[in-house]
Amino acid sequence: MEENKTKQQELKEQILSLCGIMSVSGFEPRATEAIREKLGAAFDELTVDAVGNHLLVKRCGRAKAPLVLVDAHFDEIGMLVTELCEDGFVRVASVGGLSATVLQAADVILYGKEPVRGVVTSTPPHLKKNDEESLPEAEELLVDTGYSKERLAELVSVGTPVGFSPCYSELLGGCLAGKSFDNKACAAIAAYAIAHTPKERLAADVAFLLSSYEETSAKGGVSAATYRLQPDYAMVIDVNLATVPDVPKRETVPLGAGVSLSVSAATDRRLTAMTRALCEDRAIPHTMIAAPSSTGTNATSVNLVRGGIPVVDVGLPLRSMHTYNEVISLKDAQALCELVEAFIGSQRLADTFGYTEKEELPI
Amino acid sequence: MKLYTTLQALCATPSVSGREEAIREVLRERIVPFADEVRVDPLGNLIATKKGSSAGKSVLLCAHMDEIGFLVTFVEENGWLRVAPVGGISFAASAFSSVVSENGVRGSLVPEEKVKPADYTADRFYIDIGAKNCKEAQKQVSIGTFFVAEGGVRRLKGKRVMGRPLDDRIGCAVLLAVAEQLAEVLLEGDVYYVFSVQEEVGCRGALPAAFGLAPEYALCFDVTATGDVPGTAPMACSLGGGAAIKIKDRSVICCEEVVKRLCSLAEENKIPCQREILTYGGTDTSSMQLAGGGCRAGALSIPCRYIHTSVEQCDLADAEACVTLAVAFVKDAV
Amino acid sequence: MKTAIDSVSLIREMCGLFGPSGCEGEVADRIEQRIRPFCDSVVRDRMGNVLALIRTGSNRTDDRCRIMLSAHMDEVGVMLTELCEDGLFRFDTVGGISPAVLEGRKVTLGDEINRLSGVIASKAIHHKKKSERNKPTPIEQMVIDIGAESKEEAERYLSIGSFGTFDSECYLFGEEDGFIKAKALDDRMGCAALIEIMRSVFENRPTADLDLYFCFTVREEIGLSGAKVAAEKIAPDYAIVLETTAVADLPETPVGRRVASLGKGGVLSVMDRSTIYDHEFFMKARQIAETNGIPTQVKQYVSGGNDAGSIHKTGVGVRCLALSVPTRYLHSPSCVASLSDYRAVRELTEVLIRTCPLWCTDEMKKEKTV
Repeated sequence: MEENKTKQQELKEQILSLCGIMSVSGFEPRATEAIREKLGAAFDELTVDAVGNHLLVKRCGRAKAPLVLVDAHFDEIGMLVTELCEDGFVRVASVGGLSATVLQAADVILYGKEPVRGVVTSTPPHLKKNDEESLPEAEELLVDTGYSKERLAELVSVGTPVGFSPCYSELLGGCLAGKSFDNKACAAIAAYAIAHTPKERLAADVAFLLSSYEETSAKGGVSAATYRLQPDYAMVIDVNLATVPDVPKRETVPLGAGVSLSVSAATDRRLTAMTRALCEDRAIPHTMIAAPSSTGTNATSVNLVRGGIPVVDVGLPLRSMHTYNEVISLKDAQALCELVEAFIGSQRLADTFGYTEKEELPI
Repeated sequence: MKLYTTLQALCATPSVSGREEAIREVLRERIVPFADEVRVDPLGNLIATKKGSSAGKSVLLCAHMDEIGFLVTFVEENGWLRVAPVGGISFAASAFSSVVSENGVRGSLVPEEKVKPADYTADRFYIDIGAKNCKEAQKQVSIGTFFVAEGGVRRLKGKRVMGRPLDDRIGCAVLLAVAEQLAEVLLEGDVYYVFSVQEEVGCRGALPAAFGLAPEYALCFDVTATGDVPGTAPMACSLGGGAAIKIKDRSVICCEEVVKRLCSLAEENKIPCQREILTYGGTDTSSMQLAGGGCRAGALSIPCRYIHTSVEQCDLADAEACVTLAVAFVKDAV
Repeated sequence: MKTAIDSVSLIREMCGLFGPSGCEGEVADRIEQRIRPFCDSVVRDRMGNVLALIRTGSNRTDDRCRIMLSAHMDEVGVMLTELCEDGLFRFDTVGGISPAVLEGRKVTLGDEINRLSGVIASKAIHHKKKSERNKPTPIEQMVIDIGAESKEEAERYLSIGSFGTFDSECYLFGEEDGFIKAKALDDRMGCAALIEIMRSVFENRPTADLDLYFCFTVREEIGLSGAKVAAEKIAPDYAIVLETTAVADLPETPVGRRVASLGKGGVLSVMDRSTIYDHEFFMKARQIAETNGIPTQVKQYVSGGNDAGSIHKTGVGVRCLALSVPTRYLHSPSCVASLSDYRAVRELTEVLIRTCPLWCTDEMKKEKTV
């Protein structure tokens, strides 16, 4: 029990240290130094590519070892300044799936020459007409910065990214609330797991990918990175929608009951079954969720690169996705951490999926 | 710059997505003098290469040469041609217009009687080519024949021009001008000029082109909407406001390094420019960014009003700014 | 030319197999077994595609023409998404199925190895409000009943993620038994045609220098996935996609929207929602069909899509041709096609292979300098 508490505490610190890094889709390279500082020491290499993917490699030290890809996208939803208006107001457009319903009256930061705090405007009920229920389009929201237009123009410009202000709190039952757990909580947990696995215990060289453009592109930056890496097998980790009233159970996963594993026609069934067996062997709490035609995550993309990469889709349950108070459970975080450790340490997976000389084309 | 005369020639040649042979021939003739090698790939992209002197970084410059149009799907007994849209056709904007086929047959594109504009869909439209019946019509066209709204460009006040398809023949004209200016410049890396096919049906052509070339940088030249006309959504981009450096559209968020470099080059060289965020619409930029192992992709847009109509409007000063800025970018990056 | 009886039993055999997208193992095994005697080599790739090669002509390695011929093995189906307390399963479709053809149908559930029957159940007409009776019942209001008495019993046989397909009789009907009715004609007819073509080409090889890749692909119905991966590896000069195309040649459909008609031959597409086909390839195919007296029709509507959508964009681009058997009631338990159209598709494809030097001219070569 004590041991669990300590591990959860460490995971929490790791999560909070990454989630505050600004990485709105398209601006991932701005996070390079922070990533190097917080994660770099535990890995053999850190590179950033042309489309903003950060790749951290940890080698097992054996020649001709297979390569396993662990992917967690590092970009986050946010906004971009589209126009500098009068009196320090700026107009913003959303980046990724953000709805105006959660943006009204949000605390935000404009990441200009220096960070500028702002508030998304909203109309109080007193000033609304009786029948006025509609909200502005997500592309037409205004942010109040409190600056003069002239002074503001020195700090921000059209194209400056805008994100939620980092602010975290603990809830009951080991739950955390805050911004950008989608998907930096997963990135933090996986980083912790890989960093804490001694290289002798790795069954393969590990390519840990903090991928870009997941929130804004159907293919994702992950497709380009996977193309170059050519991994032998892969785990894609992303948050998964946790239960809320009025949404059918089959479309959600319970919070606090462990990781979720997707069964899908778009992922590798054998790898998924073997990953599930790992969970069972090690008593890692997990739930299965059906995602018939697509997982809606990077897994679908990774699977179709080059000759087809066997991939399993793993989820961390999260409530209130794409708001500035996303909620996760540290119990689930621990389960995910243990699963990643088991996955990269599994000799059976490495033997089954590791590169063989088998012909992929008839000759 | 002789952008206008180039534009006239390019707009006079109809070439719908998937049938780019005619415009490709016009472009080929014009690009040949400025390139070391010119080829056509399996999908029909025209790819011209200016070889570098050593192993410098390579840049791909791309403009799409296709345009939106119509495909004949059925010929009725009395000679009417039923059509399907090719690309983002607005039937409200296309109603009662003069159309021309790839083999030069002219006709009127009209809705059935009494169909209200709100109910305009492809199924309610037909082309009347003046044929008395099916048999007569089939002497000139068949299922599978493509039509476009008649092209052509005219001058308005100053450097403003009007016509179609400015989307994206103006981008092609910019690309030709860039190639001309770079022709005698010694560069270390390769420069690829790609006139892509099938952009209007989902950015299909640029993907294999970029995959094959695997450049370090890619820059796309296409039109963008403006926020300076009545009733439009807010957008800080105007006609005559200079080259539009794309930051984002619906399909892509451009590489920040490319955006910054373009902005500072514009400032250094006093080239009029504006930053563009388009909240809808997509361009070849997205295809090129994630082709193969990915590249640093950006776009220079030419602001254009009334896109996908017969009265598109651009300001040639913006196009000239794009040329100057692109030339500066290539010299800097390669 | 093989007799029609052979074709019918082959199509029947193919359609009877269990192969929803993502679970094509049984179809792949059977196809591999059928084609092994008729090819130089065959592999199953990591995606589950069956890829077979027949080389023809001399052994010169340069300047050989690489042709990919593909048909997809998967069919639309269902996946179980939730097990309810009473032993009934909630489900969702894999690939596009209209809810109207699901209600009350029999399905086969499971995977490659273990399977059992179930029925798609919903509220009976007696319980439906008048307003509900004329509308398809939404999938959310349907369940699959396997006869289990409890959740525990159901769990012993199936789980979340189990697959299912229609369970439906295959038979011939109509004048001179010219029509075939079955589930999964999309695209097992394409698979059957490829198998027949392989047999014929293998036994009587063309003299031209060809690398013929016969590809039986996975997961077409959920995103043209298998073909993308196969084409990227093969990097063919040309691809011919054998498919079915959904037609609506029914009395109530205006003539301009019927897409194509049964019995009028193989359908050649100019454009669909995923692809604009190579113009020269299309024209040559029409011309060769005409010269050889094989009936074809041009698709008369822009609808649907097929593996060509991903193939043509792979690598540096691939010139594609789609040749389809017009099929009614696609993605239902009762698809209907004409055997004469099937024969036309099979024959034209084989003729195209045999006449390759005629259309594979220098202008159509992979890349050309101009």
